[in-house]
Amino acid sequence: MVKYFADIYNSTTAILSGMYLTINHLFRAKKGIATLQYPEERWPRPERTIGFEHGSYNVIRSRLHVDIDDCIGCLKCERACPVDCIKIETEKSPNRGEDIKDINHIGITSNSTKKALVVTRFDIDMSECCYCNLCTYPCPEECIFMTGGPNESRHSIDYEFSEPERTDLIYHFSKPGTKDGLQEMLNNREAEA
Amino acid sequence: MGIVRGEEMVLNIGPQHPATHGVLRLQVKTDGEVVSQITPYMGYLHRCFEKHCENVTYEQVIPFTDRCDYLSSMSMNFGYVVAMEELMDIKVNERVEHIRVTMAELQRIASHLLCTGVFGLDLGAFTPFLWALRDRERILDLFELTCGARLLYNYMWVGGLSHDIPNGFVESTYEFLDYFEPKVDELENILAHNKILVERSADIGVMPKDVAISYGVTGPNLRASGVNWDLRKNDPYSIYDRFEFNVPVGEGIKGTVGDCWDRFYVRILEIRESVKIIRQALASMPKDGDVHQSLPKKLRPPKGSIYSRTETPRGDLGYYIESDGSPIPYRLKMRSPAFTALSVMDEIGAGWLLSDVLAILGSLDIVLGEIDR
Repeated sequence: MVKYFADIYNSTTAILSGMYLTINHLFRAKKGIATLQYPEERWPRPERTIGFEHGSYNVIRSRLHVDIDDCIGCLKCERACPVDCIKIETEKSPNRGEDIKDINHIGITSNSTKKALVVTRFDIDMSECCYCNLCTYPCPEECIFMTGGPNESRHSIDYEFSEPERTDLIYHFSKPGTKDGLQEMLNNREAEA
Repeated sequence: MGIVRGEEMVLNIGPQHPATHGVLRLQVKTDGEVVSQITPYMGYLHRCFEKHCENVTYEQVIPFTDRCDYLSSMSMNFGYVVAMEELMDIKVNERVEHIRVTMAELQRIASHLLCTGVFGLDLGAFTPFLWALRDRERILDLFELTCGARLLYNYMWVGGLSHDIPNGFVESTYEFLDYFEPKVDELENILAHNKILVERSADIGVMPKDVAISYGVTGPNLRASGVNWDLRKNDPYSIYDRFEFNVPVGEGIKGTVGDCWDRFYVRILEIRESVKIIRQALASMPKDGDVHQSLPKKLRPPKGSIYSRTETPRGDLGYYIESDGSPIPYRLKMRSPAFTALSVMDEIGAGWLLSDVLAILGSLDIVLGEIDR
């Protein structure tokens, strides 16, 4: 008998306290609203004010980008990648640090390193990328990075990239025709000599 | 008249079922509404984690550990780096330790929030689930502020961290905790003492102490059965021995010790304890210290093996690493806490009604990414 009434009491108080909470929330809804109408509104991105000097360290995770003019073809990013989504092929440059006009190759990076290699292929398959950021740390020229973050001035953030075809997610960063152009140029040089 | 036994029917729950928390198939033998046998079939999410680790270098393993238990990636990273540092005999500085503990405890709150919210959702309470996710979102924002990622962080490295915490992180974490503490009370009020939830979970799926121990169940599930066992207290790693906190143990307030309600309530209590730890860690965090100080130039551990265990939100996570002196692990074995929690399913779930089975499964808080690996 006591249990019967205790049950009724407990249920009523539980329901009332629950209702009190929800109704309370209903009237305070404007303050604590959590839903955003996504395509119109977006979450603000946190400001990247990092407490130590790290310049090259990229805090954001978004689409990978390569400044191919700065790339020396050291393959460090390819080796760091745990899922092997970066594919690099290089050819030896005829002269270290030489500009090759025919294929738009710039011999010296913005860190004034003389390039010994010509990058003929630099593909990143973003459909395979796991956004671990491991490739950006070992880069000696800081030319591979996730868009946005400290590099915002160079490349604005791009994390909403979608493509109709999976192959469209493979980004080719090396300049088109580099491999054939280089071969042709070497042949020409040989013929001249 | 005795119980009339009808014909048994085999019913598959999952692999695509929202209540199985991932891709899990439960084959249940039912007699009417009563379940007589439960056989979990897993492996739908098998990604060859352990074999794959034998082909990648030690630092490349960390992103894969993220993806095992995707609801508590920080804790998975933490376990791995603790094991590696023990193997390589690296000592990290105070600041790194404090940041790691802060992150791991924030992750514990986030994971438990999701678990309690989803447990309510399994039993039909929708509002608390949204509240829990809303607060979890604030924690993910803190992680995003720190390392850019919201779910899979790759934040803790062997010998340090990928980034130092940003300016203002400590303040925003305090702000979050001040906001969050009343919200836990709210969550408890609306969920834990609700008559409907108590009726559905108290005295249901009781896991006695001896069953929990013999099956190797760890973490909140074990503590809910009344065993006071927490690696942060009993076998302290990192700097957990410096902090004051209690280990909540199931007391059977609403029913029997070790029932679904206890497993659920222990997690709410643990959220409070984690808040305490974070406050202490933030208060004692040294202002200076390079998080890259003890990063080894080459990650090449000496020949040998190590087994190290840490306490994740789901329990005792162990890493066994066998090194042959090369930069690639010879063998890496992970002891998953959710796997043992799932194995006890038949023992505690048989004999209950079909709807209770889902409540029991929800209260065990399994993550299939970690079970299948």
